[in-house]
This record gives sequence, C-alpha cells and structure tokens, in this order.
Amino acid sequence: MEKKFLILQKNTQDKMREKATTLYIGPQHPGITGNMMVKVQVEGDTIVRARTEVGYLHRAFEKLQERRNWLQSFTLLCRFCVPEPDPVEESYARAVELLEGREVPERAKYIRVLMLELARMGSYMLWYGGQSGSLGLYTIGQWTVGDRNYILDLFEELTGGRVYHMYIWPGGVRRDLPEGFADKVLRTMDYFEKRLKDYDDLMFENTIFQKRTQGVGVIPKEKAVEWGVVGPVLRGCGIKSDIRIDDPYEVYDKLDFIVPTHEGGDIWSRALVRRQEIRQSIRIIRQVIENMPSGEYYNRIPNPFKWTLPKGDAYARTEATRGEVAMYIVSDGSIHPRRTHFRGAAYVHGITLLEKILIGENVADISAIMNSLGVCPPEIER
Amino acid sequence: MSFFDLNGTLKPLTALKQFGKKPHTISYPKESKEAAPRYRGLHFNDLDECIGCGNCSMICQNAAIDMIHIDGIEGKKGDSGLRPRIDNGRCCWCALCVEVCPTGSLSLTKDYLYVSEDPDSFLWTPGKDNPNGKEQISFFSTEETSLNVFNRVPMPELEGKERVKSFAEVVLGYSEAEARAEASRCISCGLCTEVCPEHMHIPEYINAIATGNDADAVRIIYDNNPLPEMCGKVCTRRCEDVCAIASRGEALAIRWLKRYATETAATAEITREIVNPEIREANGKTVGIIGAGPSGLTAAYYLALRGYDVTIYEANAKAGGATMYGIPKYRFPIDSLDKQIDYIKSIGVKILFNTKVGKDISFKEIYDKFDAVFMGVGFPDAWPLGVDGDDAKGSMQAFRFLYMINSGEKVDVGDKVVVVGGGNVAIDAARVSRRLGADVTILYRRRVKDMPADWEEIEGAEDEGVHIVPQGIPIKIHKDEKGHVKAVEYLKAKMVPDERGGRPKPVAIEGSNTVIEATSVMAAIGQMGDYSFLPEEFTDKIKIERGRFVVNEKQQTGDPKVFAGGDAVNRTADAISAIADGFRACKAIDEMLGKK
Amino acid sequence: MMKELKEKIVQRIKANFADAAEKNDFNYNRLDFTVKKETIPSILFYLKDEMGFIHLSDANCVDWLEEGELELVFIVWSPKDKIKIFVRTRLDRDNPVMDNLDMIWPQLNTYEREFREMFGVQVTGLEAPDEFILEDWQGPPPFRRDFDTAAYAEKTFWERPGREDAQDVRETIANRDGEEIPDFAKKYSR
Repeated sequence: MEKKFLILQKNTQDKMREKATTLYIGPQHPGITGNMMVKVQVEGDTIVRARTEVGYLHRAFEKLQERRNWLQSFTLLCRFCVPEPDPVEESYARAVELLEGREVPERAKYIRVLMLELARMGSYMLWYGGQSGSLGLYTIGQWTVGDRNYILDLFEELTGGRVYHMYIWPGGVRRDLPEGFADKVLRTMDYFEKRLKDYDDLMFENTIFQKRTQGVGVIPKEKAVEWGVVGPVLRGCGIKSDIRIDDPYEVYDKLDFIVPTHEGGDIWSRALVRRQEIRQSIRIIRQVIENMPSGEYYNRIPNPFKWTLPKGDAYARTEATRGEVAMYIVSDGSIHPRRTHFRGAAYVHGITLLEKILIGENVADISAIMNSLGVCPPEIER
Repeated sequence: MSFFDLNGTLKPLTALKQFGKKPHTISYPKESKEAAPRYRGLHFNDLDECIGCGNCSMICQNAAIDMIHIDGIEGKKGDSGLRPRIDNGRCCWCALCVEVCPTGSLSLTKDYLYVSEDPDSFLWTPGKDNPNGKEQISFFSTEETSLNVFNRVPMPELEGKERVKSFAEVVLGYSEAEARAEASRCISCGLCTEVCPEHMHIPEYINAIATGNDADAVRIIYDNNPLPEMCGKVCTRRCEDVCAIASRGEALAIRWLKRYATETAATAEITREIVNPEIREANGKTVGIIGAGPSGLTAAYYLALRGYDVTIYEANAKAGGATMYGIPKYRFPIDSLDKQIDYIKSIGVKILFNTKVGKDISFKEIYDKFDAVFMGVGFPDAWPLGVDGDDAKGSMQAFRFLYMINSGEKVDVGDKVVVVGGGNVAIDAARVSRRLGADVTILYRRRVKDMPADWEEIEGAEDEGVHIVPQGIPIKIHKDEKGHVKAVEYLKAKMVPDERGGRPKPVAIEGSNTVIEATSVMAAIGQMGDYSFLPEEFTDKIKIERGRFVVNEKQQTGDPKVFAGGDAVNRTADAISAIADGFRACKAIDEMLGKK
Repeated sequence: MMKELKEKIVQRIKANFADAAEKNDFNYNRLDFTVKKETIPSILFYLKDEMGFIHLSDANCVDWLEEGELELVFIVWSPKDKIKIFVRTRLDRDNPVMDNLDMIWPQLNTYEREFREMFGVQVTGLEAPDEFILEDWQGPPPFRRDFDTAAYAEKTFWERPGREDAQDVRETIANRDGEEIPDFAKKYSR
C-alpha cells in the first residue's frame, strides 16, 4: 500500500515536470518583429526560459562591403534595417567623413537632420502599428501606416525612393531640396499634429492598452545601462540618455528640443517616451525648416573608382528609434573598406536583454515586449 | 486605476467619427499614383549620346549591368559600340550608374511598373526596349550632381610676360599631388587607346599614377613608346578628344600625366633601371635605319630589344628629327630629348650623326649591307608662300626658321614679324619670334576656331602678346628698295559654307585689301619630302605618290626589304603616328627576319 | 577642457596599466588604448567600475591577414565624461584565444559568439549555444579576409543563363585596334 502511494507520488512529480513546455515563437509569426525565433520554455503560460535564435536573414553585408568600394558600400546600408534606414546611412557617412576629414556643408547638415527626424517619425508610425497590433488593437496600425505614407511621399519627393532612400552619403546629401519642399513638410507636420490626438484616444487612453502594458516587460533601472539598453527603452527606465544630446552630431546642438524620460521601465513608459518623441521630432523639423541656410548641399568626393581613405578607423553613432546605431569602419588606405561593422541596438536588445526580461512574463506578452524593445532582426544578423 | 475605467473604455470609440471622413487612400488599380519628379524607376538610356564607356556596369554593386553589342550600333572612335543592359531582377535602383555616367545619357524614369510572366524579359536594354522613355526621365545627373570630376587640375605655367624673356620651358609640370589628383579623375574606360595611333596603354598607366606606383606607370608607358617624355610634352594627344570625361567636362590631361610619369625618371640611367627591359640575345640580323626621328628611333629601340643589330643614319648633328629641329625649346627642352636618346643608345642602338644618305653614304650601300631597311626620313622641306614678292629678303619658311633657331644659329627677323598659317608650326614660329623681341602677327585664312594648332598653343601665343588676324589671305609681299620685306598685303575673307558638308571655306572679299608692315614674313603652310637620296633603280619598287611613300599595313614598301614610316608616309604628320609606324615596322621586320 | 580631461584619463590608465599604449591625437571625444590581451578583462573592468565608462557601445574584430593577427576592438562610453574609449588588442591569427568577458557586460556574450563563429576566435569559458547566425557551417570562419565570398557564391549557386553575351569594354576596344596589353599592366586595368 505504502509502496503504491510512493509510485503514485512519483508519477505526479513527473507530470508536474512535463508542465514546462517548449514553444517556438517564430521565425514566421505575425507577432515577431521579423525573421527570428524566440524559443521559450513555459510553465502554464509563464515563461521560465527564453532563447533567441537568429540566422534567417544573414546577408554578410559587412563582408560584402569589403569587396565594394567606399561609395558602392553605401547602397547596402539601407538594408541593415528596413523600417528606418537613414540613421545607418548617416552613421556610415559620418564615419567616412571623420576618417577622411571631409567637411560637410552646413545646409547638408540641416537636410540630414530633416531626413533623420522624418525617418524617426516614419519609424514610430510603424511602431504604433506593431505595438498596438501585438495587443490586438488593429485600427491604430491601419491609421498610422496609412499616415506614414505622407512621410514616404516626402521621401519620394526628396530622394526619389520611398523606403530605400540612399540619400545621405559621405560629403553631404545627394540632391538639394526640391522647390516648395519645405512647405510640403510643414503641411504634413500640421496634419500630424492634429492626427496625433486620434492615436492617443485609441491607444494611450485605451484601458486595454494600459492594462496590457503597465508593469509588463520591466527593465530594472539600475541594471539598464550595464545591460546595454539604449534609446527610448533606456529613457523609459527614467535615464536621460540620447546621442543627439550626449554626443551631438550634425546640428542637433543648435536645436531646441527635450529628451523625454519616464520612470517605470515597462512597455507603458517606453510607449509614452515614443509618443512624446514624435512631438519633439515635429518640433525639430519645424526649427530645421526655419533655420536651414542656403548654399552647397554636397562636398563632392573624388572619382569613386579611385577614392581612397587614409589608414585608420572611425566610429560614428546615431540615435535611431531603436536606440544607438553606429558604424565602425577600418581603412587600410585602399579603395575598399578593410572592415566595416554595424552596431545595431537590436543586437543587444533582441538577444541578451530579451532573453533576460522575458523570464516571468506571460507568453501572450512576448510580441508586445519585442515590439517595445524595437527588435529588428535584419540589424542583428546584417 | 479602478477595474472599470469609463474614460478608457469610451475613448477608443471616438474612432467611429472616422466614418464621416473621406478616405485618404487612392483607389488602386483604377488610379495609379503619379511618381515624384525625382523618382528612381526603370532605366532609360539615350543610345545616341551613350559612348559605351561601361562606367555604369563598373559601379553597379549588384552586377546588374552588362555591356552588350546591339544591332545597329557599331563601335567607332570615341565609342566602344557597346550599350548597357540592365538585369531588372538584380537592380536595386540606387542610381549610382546614373551618378557616374560621364555623358549623362543614362537616367531613371518615373515608370515603375514592369510585369511579365517571363523572367528572361527582366533583362532589357534601356533606350532600346523603352524608346519613349525620354519623356519619362526623372532621376538624372547634371554637371553639378555627377560624380565624375569634370574639372582638370590646372597645369602650372610661367606667366606670359616671363615667358617671352627666354626659351625656358613654359609648362612647369604637375607636382606629385597634382598628378595623383588628375590621374584619379580617370574612369579607365580605355576609349582613348583606340584613337592613339600607337594604342598606348593609357588607362593602365594613369591608374598606376593614381595609385602612387610611378615606376609601374613608366614601365607600362615604355611598353610601346620609347619617346614618352617627348610625347608627354608635345604630343598632339588625340586621346584627349575622345576622353569620356570630355563629353561634359575637361578631358583628362593624359599628356601631362605621361610627362609627369616620365619625369620621375630623371636620367637615362634611372629610366634604364626602372624600365629594366628584357634585351634578347643578339640574333645576328642587322637593320639599317635612315633618319633618327621618332619613327626611326622607335623601330630601332624595339628591334634592338629583340636582338637585332641596329644602325641609324642621321643627316643632322642631333637625333630627334622634327621634334629636335621643328619644336621650339620652350616646349621641348634639349635635355629632355637627350635623356631619351641616351636611354635608347644604352640599349645598343648605334646612331651615325652627320651622315646624310645620298651624300655621305649611298642608299644602295645601306640596302646591300643590312637585312632590312627602315626609312623614317620625314619632311625636311617646306612649301613656299607662292605670292608675289615671295623672293624678298626676310621672307622665309617658318620650318627653316625654327630649324636654324634650334640649331643654335642667329636669325635676324627685325621687329615686325608676320607668320602665315594656323598650324602648330605657325604658332611655334610666332612664339619664337616673340622671344626674339619682335611684334608678331599671325595671318590665317580661316577663323581662330578652325586653326589646326593646339588650343593650348593658341592661348599661349595670345598670352604672350601674339596678334592673330583671322580670315586674311596674303596676296603680295611689298619690298623696299633694297629688296627687303616691307609689308604684307592681304585680303579679308568671308566664310562660305561648303555644299559638300566640309568645313566652311574662306573666300576673299574683293577690294578689302589691307596692308600690314613687316620686317619678316614666315610661311607655315606645310612641309614636303625630299626623296633625292633614292636612286632611280629603286623607284619602280618603292613608289612615291602625292609626295609620300606607298606602304602596306605593315609599313612595307614595294620592296619587301624596305620599310618606311613617319611624316613621309602617314598623313597625320605627328610624332605619335611616326612612333606607331616605327613600332609596326619593327613587328613586321621581326616577323620577316625571324622566320628566315 | 576636453583635452585636459583626456589627459587625465590617459594618466590614470597608464598609472594602472603599464602596457597601455595610448593614441590621443583625435580632435574629437575619442581616446585609443592598445593593450596586451591579458590586460583586456582588467582594463575593461577598471574603465567600467572605476572610471564611469559604463556603456559598452561596440565590440568587434578586424582581420589583419597580412600581419597574421586578429584585432579586437572594444568601444566604451562614459555618459558622465562624454568620451568614448577604444580598447584594442591583437590575437595571434593562427591560435586566437580570448577569455570570456560576459561577466563585465552580459551583452558581450553575443559579441563573443560572433567572434567565435565569424572569425574563429576561441573564447574560453563562453557559455552559449554552438551556433549563432550560421547553420551547419563547415567551412572556415567566413568573416576572415582569406574567405572569398565571390568564389563561395560561384561554387554554391549558379548563374541564371541569358547574360553570357556581356562584353568587357576595355577588352573590346583593345581587340578592335589590336592593342596588346602586357600582363604586368593588367592589374591596373579596371
């Protein structure tokens, strides 16, 4: 009798252990931010262990750049992270300029800031869709992605391409502003200022959104910097950190804007930071349009086939919507890069950070957390 | 927050108000969005403007552009005859091809829809497959936006006022940094090599200079030109006329770059060390060469390298032919020529100076002594002006004048010189006369822009104060009582279009007689040959037609043993053509004698 | 101001790490230190814990094939001093071994996985799955300079037919006029 009880007890323990199930979220899953997989072990619906699996999108861009010359490399850059390609172009251009000592005309700097801020807005419009969609709120996504097209229209007008702009290149920008462009930008900004209220009504004022995001995906403030958290995610932990202010580039030090922060470290505070940043972007764009000087927009490079950079290396960081992105380039004095390396925010956010903060969360929140961290798989694998 | 949040439940319902708003999407496919004026869509190529340089296919980092032959487009000088074909399956519309197109023929259009079930049809040739794409052009390059560097690095020169004081070299030459900068403008297409009579390896040596390997550049240059420093200074450089960059900008300074490279080898010994040519073992065959001009020297140099025993017979005291005696020293200093002659001699070429064939040695003797003979005799005589009073004292041929000056003789030209003609010889004579202290007028039948002389030479002459009278036809030279030139009378001319499509002809205007005072008149209207050295027994085989030897494509005359080249053969009458003749003759002689 | 600050940092580092060779000629907020590979953990710990360089901006590897070395570069950032420091060291290319550093910054774990996979660096003490980006990769570490991506692509994939009629411009012209480009010059052709 006693022996039988012991066997029964053992069986129950085994069943308890079986409760830890492995789930494979991705690589093709609508809630995942791209082609990657999160392998999670869940007990009930609580995550006990998470592992990021990448490798579905590796294109060896860094290696390919070694075979291309300094100008040809530039066309690969926009593909590092599709939703927001401009900060990558900006980082590369600035790294090359830093290494070569190439001056950039003042007007080009303003145009670059305009590009970067428009890109930031466009990227946040996609984020709205992703973040709300991950919680089942699909209407906002329809709106914001639709409204993003107004920004893409501006890009098309300015650069000739809607998504892959290939516009910011070493020495300045590729083309000057077309006639009447500034007015179009201002009209679009007017539209957005009105429109943002609608997003608030549907998203930030929405109980569902509030309840699903508050206290979820918390990053401890004291560990944040050490864990490599950057950008809006770090500001969502209440830490004021923004490369535009800390390590200013182009003309950000001449512009008046604030860096919003929110205590809490959860999805909700990160969302609030982003919400405010869109408004700051509009503010920056208005200042840029107002203060843009006339003059040259491009300091011409030599014949690209014979364009060499001096020996050495350079590293240029840019604040993107995902956080700090940067380009590290090494030159051996030839017409090809010796090595280029792209530092993406998702490289840290999407692997070590995600693996840490998913533990203890509900399996239904994986997608919302990933969206709030700005995980961009093509940036991880490059 | 309470469990039930009224505000948070009702607020999202405000979305309902959107029902009353007009949708902001367009109703695709009924309406198709008009692309932006700068849109980067499918390619268009203006096939007539395109010169097939292939720069687009080189910059394409997706390897999406092939250069192909298409029916109806043949290669010609300055056009490879190839045209780009785009693999739209690979293209990413970065438009770098547009940015580097030197002619601006390639552009992108607003057209962005291309649907086909056949994947092979994604390969298409812009301009041929979308002939009406020209109206759709949206993303194009201008001189301002193009990534080609259209502006030449200026060549440092002496000031005009300084120049006339002496025979010092006018062009100072590029510094290393200037040469690298100029060389790096080259796109290495190679269109120039076709028009170069000698087909020098231009893109290769320019690239060597651009990458800082001057020694390699010198080696490449000496591969088929033993007188590159001369070419680097005075070549007629037809290569620069077809330079791809010249289609919208200033051509690469190919000549100056060659000059830079060869000047890095300062002496004949250094040249020998750098070029380090492979000299084949003597093969026992001998070649005799008449005339140490560019063609003779070239044939001699390359034959010597191939193991032949070469002897040159030169009538004058110095080698170089017309480049020695015809070109003023401010353009081509004597040291520079000597350096190259010394180098050629160091290879084993023997030159017998002051040995005029027909006088000091007979042609027959040379013919019998050597296994092959090459004649590079040039045009030693000049055409007289052929007007009334031509025989006056002080009326001379510009060519003779230059010969005397270059031989170190003194010539008194007085203080007013009139030069008749518009070629390089005319300009040279004018600029030399300026250096002798005379006021100089150039009288030319056509307009300044019709002058066959180098534009740089014409500009140089103007800088030095030479007065150019275009559209003037001399009719008479007035003499004073001592029979000396007193003045030149000329008629003004108007330009009449040529019915056959040639260049406009000058026609004298009756009654427009004008007289300018002169102390000397120089005719620079052409040179001619002197073939008196050739005994009659040879003239049935070695034919002369219209003042030139008749040769086949191997520079061979009717006598298989005798070859000819240079001014006495070709119509272009410049040094590089002479060098090309010499090189061709060398190959033919080697082929002929090597077989025996 | 920044110059003094940089001077101070250099002095402090040099006082603590005798083998640190600095490069301090940048006209912007950057400092470079080259150290022996054994010093890497301690200097990174020191920068992070003692000097406020708490943010690891980047870590990457450069292959110096000709010199037979792999270079590791760590870029750290101080939010307080607003200065970035490059810490570099060289490993023997034939036997590249480094210590695991993910106790300093946990995200270094990912960087080290990439070093291991792409450059063949052995990281002693690294706890991570064997594969990172590549799957079933048998070949040499692909980010090394001697791995020829074009040759690999040609071997592994095939060309879509239909483009064999492509011509080389330089060759076309040379053939047409009978120019013989000598072999030693060809490396300068495009």
